[in-house]
Amino acid sequence: MVEHHDLLRSFKDNCGFGLVANIKNKPSRKVLDDAVTALERMMHRGAVAADGKTGDGSGLLLSMPTEFMVKVAAESGVELSKQFAVASIFTKDLKHLDVLDEICANNDLKIVLRREVPIDINALGDQAIASLPNIVQIFIVPNSIMATNRFDALLYLSRKETEHKLIEDRDFYIASMSSTVLSYKGLVMPTHIKEFYKDFNDESFKISFSLFHQRFSTNTLPEWRLAQPFRAVAHNGEINSVEGNRINVEIKSESIKSDVFTDEEIQRILPILQLNSSDSASADNFFEFLIVNGMDFFKAVRAVIPSAWQNAPHMDPELRAFYEYHSTVFEAWDGPAAFSVTDGRYIGCVLDRNGLRPSKYIVTKDDNLLIASEYGVVDIAEEDIKERGRLQSGEMIGLDLKFGKLLKSDQINDYLKGSNPYMKWLNEHMIYLQEHVEEQYSSCNNINADELVKRQKFFNITQEIVEQVIEPMIKDGKEAVGSMGDDTPLAAFSDKQRNFSDYFKQKFAQVTNPPIDPIREKVVMSLNTGFGEVHNILDEIPTHAHRLKSISPIITKEKLEVLKSFGDKSSPRYQAFYHNTTFSTAYTTDLKASLDTLVTTVIDSVRNNGTRIVILDDSEFDENTKVIPMAMAIGRLNIALLKEKIRHLVSMIAVTGEVVDSHSAAVLIGYGASAIYPNVLFATVANQLSNSKSLQLSCPEAYKAVHTALNNGLLKIMSKMGIATIASYRNSGLFDVMGLSKEIAQECFEMSHCAIAGLTYDDIDERIEKFHKSAFKNDGFKKIFPLNIGGYYKFYTGQEHHDFGPAVIHAIHAVADSGKKEDFDRLKNLVNNRGLKFIRDFFDMKSGREPIDISEVEPKEAIFKRFASAAMSLGSISPEAHETIAIAMNRIGGQSNSGEGGEDKSRFGTERVSKIKQVASGRFGVTPAYLRSAEEIQIKVAQGAKPGEGGQLPGHKVTALIGKLRHTVPGVTLISPPPHHDIYSIEDLSQLIFDMKQVNPKARIAVKLVSTIGVGTIAAGVAKAYADKIIISGGDGGTGAAPLTSLKFAGNPWELGLSEAHNALKANNLRGLVELQTDGGLKSGIDVVKAALLGAESFAFGTGVLTIVGCKMLRICHVNKCSVGIATQNEKLRQEFFKGHVDQIINYFTLLAEDVRSIMAELGYKTMEEMVGQVSTLKVKDDPFAQKFDFSAVLHEEEGVNTHQQRFNHPFDDNSFEKDVLKEAMVAIKSPDQPIRITREIKNVHRSFGALVSGEIAEYYGDDGLKPDTIKINLTGSAGQALGAFITPGVSIYLDGVANDYIGKGMNGGKIIITSKNEGEEFSAGGNTCLYGATGGKLYISGSVGERFAVRNSGAFAIVEGTGDNACEYMTGGVVVILGKTGINFGAGMTGGVSFVYDQEHRFVENVNHELVEAVRIDTDEGDEARHYLKRLLKDYVVETKSKKAIELLENFRVEVRNFWLVKPKNLTKLPLNLENGD
Amino acid sequence: MREYLTTERIDPSKRLVVERTKDFGEIYEVFDKDDAASQSDRCIQCGDPFCLNKCPLHNYIPQWLKSIAEKDLDLAFRLSNEPSPFPEVMGRVCPHDRLCEGDCTLNDGHGAITIGSIETHITEEGFKAGLTPNFPGITSDKRVAVIGSGPAGLSVATYLLRSGIAVTMYERADRAGGLLTYGIPNFKLDKKIVERRVSLLEDAGMKLVLNCEVGKDLTFEEIANKHDAMFIGVGATKAKNAGLAGEQAANVYAAMDYLTNIQKKNFKTAYDKKFDFKDQDVVVIGGGDTAMDCLRTAKREGAKSVTCLYRRDELNMPGSKKEYKNAMEEGVDFSFLSSPKEIILDESGKAIAVEIVKTTLGAKGSDGRQRMEEVKGSETRVNADIVIMSLGFDPVVPSFLAENGIETNSWGGIVINEETHETTTSGIYAGGDCFRGADLVVTAAFDGREAARSIAKSLLK
Repeated sequence: MVEHHDLLRSFKDNCGFGLVANIKNKPSRKVLDDAVTALERMMHRGAVAADGKTGDGSGLLLSMPTEFMVKVAAESGVELSKQFAVASIFTKDLKHLDVLDEICANNDLKIVLRREVPIDINALGDQAIASLPNIVQIFIVPNSIMATNRFDALLYLSRKETEHKLIEDRDFYIASMSSTVLSYKGLVMPTHIKEFYKDFNDESFKISFSLFHQRFSTNTLPEWRLAQPFRAVAHNGEINSVEGNRINVEIKSESIKSDVFTDEEIQRILPILQLNSSDSASADNFFEFLIVNGMDFFKAVRAVIPSAWQNAPHMDPELRAFYEYHSTVFEAWDGPAAFSVTDGRYIGCVLDRNGLRPSKYIVTKDDNLLIASEYGVVDIAEEDIKERGRLQSGEMIGLDLKFGKLLKSDQINDYLKGSNPYMKWLNEHMIYLQEHVEEQYSSCNNINADELVKRQKFFNITQEIVEQVIEPMIKDGKEAVGSMGDDTPLAAFSDKQRNFSDYFKQKFAQVTNPPIDPIREKVVMSLNTGFGEVHNILDEIPTHAHRLKSISPIITKEKLEVLKSFGDKSSPRYQAFYHNTTFSTAYTTDLKASLDTLVTTVIDSVRNNGTRIVILDDSEFDENTKVIPMAMAIGRLNIALLKEKIRHLVSMIAVTGEVVDSHSAAVLIGYGASAIYPNVLFATVANQLSNSKSLQLSCPEAYKAVHTALNNGLLKIMSKMGIATIASYRNSGLFDVMGLSKEIAQECFEMSHCAIAGLTYDDIDERIEKFHKSAFKNDGFKKIFPLNIGGYYKFYTGQEHHDFGPAVIHAIHAVADSGKKEDFDRLKNLVNNRGLKFIRDFFDMKSGREPIDISEVEPKEAIFKRFASAAMSLGSISPEAHETIAIAMNRIGGQSNSGEGGEDKSRFGTERVSKIKQVASGRFGVTPAYLRSAEEIQIKVAQGAKPGEGGQLPGHKVTALIGKLRHTVPGVTLISPPPHHDIYSIEDLSQLIFDMKQVNPKARIAVKLVSTIGVGTIAAGVAKAYADKIIISGGDGGTGAAPLTSLKFAGNPWELGLSEAHNALKANNLRGLVELQTDGGLKSGIDVVKAALLGAESFAFGTGVLTIVGCKMLRICHVNKCSVGIATQNEKLRQEFFKGHVDQIINYFTLLAEDVRSIMAELGYKTMEEMVGQVSTLKVKDDPFAQKFDFSAVLHEEEGVNTHQQRFNHPFDDNSFEKDVLKEAMVAIKSPDQPIRITREIKNVHRSFGALVSGEIAEYYGDDGLKPDTIKINLTGSAGQALGAFITPGVSIYLDGVANDYIGKGMNGGKIIITSKNEGEEFSAGGNTCLYGATGGKLYISGSVGERFAVRNSGAFAIVEGTGDNACEYMTGGVVVILGKTGINFGAGMTGGVSFVYDQEHRFVENVNHELVEAVRIDTDEGDEARHYLKRLLKDYVVETKSKKAIELLENFRVEVRNFWLVKPKNLTKLPLNLENGD
Repeated sequence: MREYLTTERIDPSKRLVVERTKDFGEIYEVFDKDDAASQSDRCIQCGDPFCLNKCPLHNYIPQWLKSIAEKDLDLAFRLSNEPSPFPEVMGRVCPHDRLCEGDCTLNDGHGAITIGSIETHITEEGFKAGLTPNFPGITSDKRVAVIGSGPAGLSVATYLLRSGIAVTMYERADRAGGLLTYGIPNFKLDKKIVERRVSLLEDAGMKLVLNCEVGKDLTFEEIANKHDAMFIGVGATKAKNAGLAGEQAANVYAAMDYLTNIQKKNFKTAYDKKFDFKDQDVVVIGGGDTAMDCLRTAKREGAKSVTCLYRRDELNMPGSKKEYKNAMEEGVDFSFLSSPKEIILDESGKAIAVEIVKTTLGAKGSDGRQRMEEVKGSETRVNADIVIMSLGFDPVVPSFLAENGIETNSWGGIVINEETHETTTSGIYAGGDCFRGADLVVTAAFDGREAARSIAKSLLK
């Protein structure tokens, strides 16, 4: 387990990456020069330390520069044989090299030369010099005659052995050790790498290919060893599933048999993965292992990073068979990833299944291949370009260096699928459980009523669970949705019956990796589950296809029985490799001892009885026996079996009453269960059907609905972490364990982090005992209504504590209305005397200072400045409530937060304005004027109520006003995607912050994160990405609507996250750069002061503010019927029943500030500034229950400043390029009647071009901007990311060349025209995620563009000649014309706007996501309007671009029109075909 | 659910005033299925159900509203009868407008859910449909004596019987029910309703001993010796005095005496004829529910005029608004802001009028009620043939309490451990008005339930 303190200095890294290669494998200087140039040009994708020179690391992995190596060896008197290898080593202690010598000697290798690599330390920053190791090259030759393969194998073996031996020494690192590739990397900025490594300046230093990489680390403690590329891989992105993958590699290691190494040698190689390394390094280790052991290069890549095959009917069945076969032993390494890979013989690049990282390639006429994150990193004349393309989701491109052949995705796939008769193997061996089920869902097993009640009571299935959780699943086939936040204590702190799965909080992706949309991008998701032994991964034989398969890990009784029959000796179907045994988890006394016994029994059975499927069953309990919590049993067995090295032999299945929702299922799967039969849940469903009058379904229908709901819930939980397949999720332990002792956490949930360690086995045993008793004792009364009533989701008197319970709500209302101190005192007493419910309640405050008189404490106005209302959009709440809050916060000098959903411009510049403008993933109403009106721009990366998820504003809530503000049509459903589609990674966030700082240089940029273990790492990265402020939200935050399992089980208390972020920023010396804010249920002065002591400088209030203006915690925000007129758009409710007013808010905050002041006086602090971060003031209460828990993580204190020391955190890129343009443009901005033309050459390092100028225009003219073409800018070259971001009417950008990702992001008007000599569909001219959140304007590109074109477009007109996958996703308005191929999943989540697609090959319809849109023909009478509209658009396009394709189409319009599809939302009746709406 | 925007609150229909004042039949009709369902359907199903929080019994209100909206009577019946010993009684007599309905989220202009009426509907319809609360029978060898058959006693008996514990109930009156029988007029609570509950308990194994006053007909020890525990629920029946000059007059009556006698009259059993007030001018002093009961009873008994004297205004009346409204409808005169100073007697010592002084209300005091000031020189008289004092009740303190170490406080209330309801003598429990002073039926029911919980816990270890 990783200790908390280590986390403060841990990191995540992302970057820019790529490769250059000569297709014919001809070494040259040019390849090296190009690689270095490319690196230099991607500086902005990395980060620079405070010394301005130390980068986070960059490097090159080169083809062996044989000529140079032979030369330098000769200079040292060594004549190299043809067979030689060079190791590149970083070491502080040269003696460590002797270890390598010795091991090599043992392995029949001979070291012929040690060469100190000549370097120039003038190229390094201070930090890099301080940690500079010796950089040594070791020349190695075989000691006897051996084949090249054996030589390479021994090199690998020797390296692994050396690494194992020197594992304790972090300063010893072998960067590469190979006969074919050589690493040159380090803590050096790309601009200085050539200067640093003197070798590069030698004319004989020639290479034929190079992988290159520029690193952006979230921490400021970069190390030499962490620079990439690794031995085989350069990776951009982050492996979301790496936790699961690591465990799974360990499991696979148990059954390795290699043709290359003996068993004994394999043992010397293991473990495959180096400990404590990054996700990229782990992937490199694994990949390298496969290759060295003789696995085919392409197979290895595709086995590890498969494209989405499970739900891809468009895919070739033979190829799917290849993937399915490999899925028996490999699970996807999933997440945003662009991998460059080489083994020396082949070189390739592969993109993850979601296409979340950019990977762009150019093939030149002189046989060079360049792949990089961006176009324009090497200057290549247009006429030299043979091909300019990009990898699409799940695609691979490769190079066979031996034969000088470029291999495209299709060729690679043909090779893969043809290499073995996979389809036949599957047909012969794979067993699909479904095929053997006569009738699914037929056995409505009825545990008898009395027995069922006991089970329900023991497993905490209350009436509330039945009503709130189970019934919605039956009725809707979906998880129940709720609103507002979670105001109950952690399970560990609760004295009420809680499920064991409540101790686990789901992890979620934020910033460094993105979540996925499991609904709209379902095509990449899969719950496909297999059972059976994990075979040797290194060979391909037919019988590896032995596998029982289920489409979901949630299985029914029927499937369980089928599965059992295959492993039951008395059954004719019996096959030994499915031999199963059922173990009961019942116990009578001593939980821990019983768990130990269970482990021993299972291990014995696997070892000696051939058990291959372990079924754990908790149904055999009664009055005298209890059951071990299933997650504990599964988790413990998982780890124990792994320690015994027999985990690969078995699959585990849980037959349990504990699973009632997707969260409890996910916990079991996350800790190793392959499948779950939730018997009590199903029995409860059957029981409800027979008892409830309102459920008019048959049992099979209801079971199916519940099954569907659980499946979708699991997909949602996985997708929150950005994981697409259940196979990659299994074993990942992606939870934070809350309040269980270290012993339990280590023995059962080792892969997870544990916070506030506390409850021991005995404590858990005691709790089980208590509820076991109550299940059988009936509280003394024979119940007429036997189930417990509940109280976890909603308040119920005497049940679980709710911090916004009726008493508190009434008290807050009283304070707000009266403004009297005695009312506040009443509230304060309620809050401060709630008992030990939340982490902060466990601390007393003792400053050790003398109390001071309250008059010495800074005035309340100084404290008001630190108060903000939390983000609540107009839409989630009514305009009346929204404005009341804004006015009140402005009057007291605090800040209000617009939420995301636009703001009426009439509010700008008045006291109704929201000082904070939010930018969330939907980008609704995010226009230049909106951003310009902000004092602070808040980028919401995650929301406490539902981190990792998107949202949806149902059409019926979209009123005329909301429609206008969000730039859509009233009544259109508005979907916010789970990720920001321009933030998949830390360098992307840095780019978005850069965009924002251009549009509004006066605004501070804040980034909102949600508390989770590891948020410190993220916070450090965000500070390095130049945010000015970071918000750590508690997981208890509110929402207008979210699935209950998200409300309850994702996101940690703010205390944990705040403390971690505060300390991580300090540990990385970044604290002074950024302000820290927190929010989460703050109510009284003590709450606020404790937050300050833990490091918060400012405080936000969400639910609290709503309560002040009348909220009564109805928790029905999602149904538009809020009876107090707050969370509703209903005219009557807003006008007649909204009783909130400004004074209420002022009353409350005045009393709160005074309460804060009086506590400050008691503690002896005059100002907040001096109080913030004084952690030592907090002491754990002297209380036996409090003493049970370990709060050291929360109360940890690093050295350093506690508050921000600067208002702005300026980026290293000062954007002088556009500042210079702005100077010229100012003439036209000042005198808009005098249009101006500006000409520039642009490079990929010039980012967000247009945003600065447009922000300035918006300052004076708002979103109306200027007249068309007032400022016309002619550019040539390759534009950097976000060309034309947030441009306004009046700005026209003409680019002769190509542009990168995010073209026209948030554009509101004007135009962007991109043309190039190399035009047409086959030439890529723009990157990914163009027009994200655009609200107007025109974008024409006479080439093709990348993934997610026009995502969330709500007003722009665009014409391009081809796109990648997921085009027009979430679009709500505007018109998109695509004159070529589109990729899959077109129009997912598209609720507005229209699209025309030219489909010559008539394959387009396959690519449409038919959930919300339909594709219709326009060559009909009905299509008349659309047809002519299209024609006019094309004519305009031709005028601007001279596109050959468009000219041809127009010339043959009568014929070609039949190849066009019109794609429109199904329920859109009136098409927005109005040219005048355009610019 | 949440149909409050389209469906308005309706109260169950009442019998016409001219009809209903002619007899003592209940004035409200029970909701029919459709009304009950559509009224329940208005419920928001709040996240913080203030209604159940405010309800002393914490009844599963939102839960049974939902089941009634879904026309699932069986579920609603079980939900409603779980935490409440006699929901059909509570539905009739509870001051809902001050408790659940008063705190209902919708009670801010939308109109609260008609919780009380739906509560009545559930159990009435349930009984009609043959549903019945299940009792397991006497399954233990433990026996508990319950002294007093009022709401607290009936409640404790209900829950003890549900725990399989034998109960003997001692009642000094000729019928069981205490306040429910003799304190609440039939037009509010039909006595058949009470009788039905009592028989249910008897069917479940309860032994009922009527006309048995402890300390007189049986000694405390005799009872104690035969039982494993004892619950005292003897209520608070001693009328409070106003301390007015003239209140000792023969035609000045205590409210409870009046109500009891009229109920006896309705039962057609012997009663004191002096309580026939036909054609008399009746003045009732007090503004609580009991005062309303007296006023309306007198009206039905044919009094010439019926006047209520109350010191504060109508907003400050402690009784239920609903009952006040009903009284108004039925022709009761209300004289608010009228503080009685003296009862004027004629030479024979008979009360003939009440001297009052007018009052005004000022700022709220520490108890949350507005302070009252008398207006100088505003004295007037209200003529009266009969004066009924309805100023609340104190517990009577039977001598067996002190004799057995059961402590009482300054005003005679029995001292108990509020968690266990145990008195200062081990094994003896108490609850209801004899512990709280005159309070609501629902709080007595709560005490009974909680006392039963701890008795069962201690006996069935």
